[in-house]
Amino acid sequence: MIDINNISYTYGDGTKALIDLSIKLPKEHIFAVMGMSGSGKTTLLNCLARFLRPQTGTILLNGKDIYTIEEKEFRSKLGVVFQHLNLFPHMNVLNNLTLAPCRVQNYLKKDAEKAAGEMLERLGIEELITDYPGQISGGQAQRVAIARGLMLKPEAMLLDEPTSALDAKTTQEFATWLSELKSDTSFIIVTHDTPFAELVAHQGVFMEKGRVTQTGRINDIVKHIKGPITI
Amino acid sequence: MIFKDKQREVTEKITSDVSRLNRLDGKSCRLVPFSRMTKSLLNKILWIIGFFFCVCNSVWCEDTKTFTTALTGKYPPFSYYDSGGKLTGFDVDIAQEIASRLNLKSKIATTEWDGILAGLLVEKYDAIIGSMAITPERTEKVDFSNPYYFSGAQLFIHRNNPHKVYSINECTDLRIGVVLGETYQQYLEMNYPDINVVTFKSSVEIFEMLEQNRITGFVTDKLVGAWQIKKAKRPFVPVGEMLYKERIAIPVRKENTRLLSDINHALAEMEKDGTIKEIYSRYFGLDSTNKNASSKMPTSVIVKKLLKGFGVTLLVAFASILIGFTLSIPTGLLLAHKGGKLLLPHMITRAVVDLIRGIPVLIQLLFVWLGLGLRPFPAAIITLGVCAMGYMSEAVRSGLMSVDLGQGIAAKALGLSLIDRFRFIIWPQAFRIAIPSLMNCVVALIKDTALISIISIPELIREAQSIISVTFEPQKYYLIAALLFFAVTFPLMKLAGMLEKSISKKGFEND
Repeated sequence: MIDINNISYTYGDGTKALIDLSIKLPKEHIFAVMGMSGSGKTTLLNCLARFLRPQTGTILLNGKDIYTIEEKEFRSKLGVVFQHLNLFPHMNVLNNLTLAPCRVQNYLKKDAEKAAGEMLERLGIEELITDYPGQISGGQAQRVAIARGLMLKPEAMLLDEPTSALDAKTTQEFATWLSELKSDTSFIIVTHDTPFAELVAHQGVFMEKGRVTQTGRINDIVKHIKGPITI
Repeated sequence: MIFKDKQREVTEKITSDVSRLNRLDGKSCRLVPFSRMTKSLLNKILWIIGFFFCVCNSVWCEDTKTFTTALTGKYPPFSYYDSGGKLTGFDVDIAQEIASRLNLKSKIATTEWDGILAGLLVEKYDAIIGSMAITPERTEKVDFSNPYYFSGAQLFIHRNNPHKVYSINECTDLRIGVVLGETYQQYLEMNYPDINVVTFKSSVEIFEMLEQNRITGFVTDKLVGAWQIKKAKRPFVPVGEMLYKERIAIPVRKENTRLLSDINHALAEMEKDGTIKEIYSRYFGLDSTNKNASSKMPTSVIVKKLLKGFGVTLLVAFASILIGFTLSIPTGLLLAHKGGKLLLPHMITRAVVDLIRGIPVLIQLLFVWLGLGLRPFPAAIITLGVCAMGYMSEAVRSGLMSVDLGQGIAAKALGLSLIDRFRFIIWPQAFRIAIPSLMNCVVALIKDTALISIISIPELIREAQSIISVTFEPQKYYLIAALLFFAVTFPLMKLAGMLEKSISKKGFEND
C-alpha cells in the first residue's frame, strides 16, 4: 500500500536522518516501525505525513507519488496521531471529532455529529462526548485522538509514540483496545517501546542510524535485537 | 519728562507734595497766608509757622483740596455729555464718589484717549478714572488700583434661549454675530472654529438680527451689551462666563503710593456697602461686578448635557476599540511571525507599533487634528483607533505566540486549510489568552477619550467643563464625570480579572 523507495533526508545542520531508505508497508491491521531515539523514526513519520520532503527518493501511496495527491485528499487518506496528541483544548470531544469532517469533507454538522457519536461508541468512549481535553485522562485522550483521525476514514494512520505518556497498566489496556479495534484503517505505529509493539503488531521494521536493519515478524526482530536494546 | 526728572532730584516726599499743592489750588495755599501777612507782623510770623505747618503736614493740605481725575467724555455710558450738556456717566459717578470718600473736591478733566496717560505722567491730574484696562505695558509706567469693574468679550443671546445655549461651548454650527473687524471675530475664529461666525457692519444690525431670532447670539463687550439691554430695553441676556476678561482700574503715578492706597481703600468700601453696584445699575442692565452668570442652567439641561457627553465618550471609545481590535489581528499576526517571506512586513509593523506606543497619545491626537487637518471626530476616532491597535496588537501577538505550535500541525494533518486553521484552532486559543490584556487596553482607551476634549469634541469632560463655566461647581461635576467613567471601567476591570481566573483555571494543558 505504501512504498517507500530509496528516500534520504538530511537536516539543515547536516544530520543525515534517513539514508537511502526503502520499506514496503503492506496493508496490514497494525504495522510497527521500531528503533531507538535518533534512529530516524520520527523523520520517517514526518516524511510520510508530508511535513518533511525527502531530498531523494519517492513515497508511493497506492502506487501514486504522495506529492502528486491533492492536500485534502491526501489528508483524508493518511491520518496522523502525534506523540503529544494535540487535541484542540478549546473544543469538547465532539467538536474535536466533527471539525475536520465538516470543514474538509463538507459533512453537514448534523451528520458529522451522528458519525462522531457512533465512532465514540465503537471505541468505547462515548461518555467523553461533552468533555474537554483538559478534563480527561491520558489513555482516554489517546483514544479520542485516534477517533478524531478515524473520522476522515483514512486508509492508513500513523501513530507516533502512542505509549510515551501512558503507564504500564494503561499501555496494556491500550494495546488490547487497539488490537481488538474493528477498523478498515491500517495503523503504522512508530515506537521505541518494543514490548508494546510485540503486543499489538505482527509485522514491522527496525531502524538504526537512518537505515532499516531488520524487517519481518515482530517476534523475530525482537529476538535479534534483544541483546543490545535497553528500554 | 522735565517734571519727572525734577522730581527724582527731590528726596523728600513732602517737597513733591508742596509743588503739587501749589499747582492743585494756588488760591487756598498761597493767597490765604499772604492776606494774613499784610495784617500784622504777628500774622506774618504766624504765616511762616503756618506755612511750615502746611509744608510739613502735606496730608492735611491734600485732604482739604481737590482730586483731579481725567476721562475722555466720549465713551457712553462711562463718560458722556447728557442732553443738558452736563458731563455724566459711570466713570464720572465713580470719580465723584471716590473724591467725596477721600474728603476731596472732585474735579474732572476731559482729554483725548491717546494722550491721557502722558497727561497723568506730567501731573496734569492725579488719576485717570476713564475705564482703563490693566495691561503689562501700562503697568510699566503707572500703578493701577484694584479693579473697579470687569469687562471683556461676552456672549449674549435672546432671552427665550430657543437654541438652549448656556455658554459659548454649545454654539457649534450656530450663527453668532460679531461686528466686522472687531477683535471678537478673530478671537472666535481662532478659539471656536466650529462656530458659524456671521459678521455685520454695526452692532445695531446685530441687535436687530437677534431680536428677530435670525442669529443665535452675538459677542461684544459685556458692558456695551449690558447698556443696550438697559437703554434700548433689548430682550437679551448674557450667558456663560466672559470669553476673556479685562480688569478696569484707576492708574496713578508710581510715586503716589499714598493716594493709591487711599483709592483702594475707598473702592473696597464702595464695593462693600454696595455703592459700586448702585452706580452700576444706573447705567447697566446687569451686574458685571457679580461674577455669576445671570442665566441659570436648569437641572434637566445639565443631566442632558452630561448624558450626551457620556454618550459621545462611549461612542468614540467604542468606534476606536472596534478599529483598533480589527487592525490588531493582522498586525498581531505580523508581529508574531518573525522570519521568512513576511520579514519586511514584520519589521514595518514592529516599527509602527513601537512608534505608536512610544509617543504620548495627546501629541498623536494634536498631530492628526492640526497637523493633518482632520475634523475633530475623525481625528479622534482614527488616532485613538490606531493607538488601540498599537497596544492591542501586542496583546494579540503574545496570545498567538502562546498557542502550542503542535495545534497548527495537528490541524494541518486533519486537512484544514490555512484560513480554517487560524479561524478554528489558532485564533480562538490566542484570543482567550489575550482577553485580559485586551480588556486592559479597552479600559485604558476609554480613559484616554478624556484627551479628545482638547480638540473641541463635546464629550463628557468638555460638557462637564461647560456646565462648570455656568454653575461654578467644579467639585460636583468633575466628580460626576469621574463616577460615570468609573461606572464603565470598573465592571470591565472586574470582568478582565474574572476571565483571567477562569482561563487559568480551565487550563489549556493537552493530554
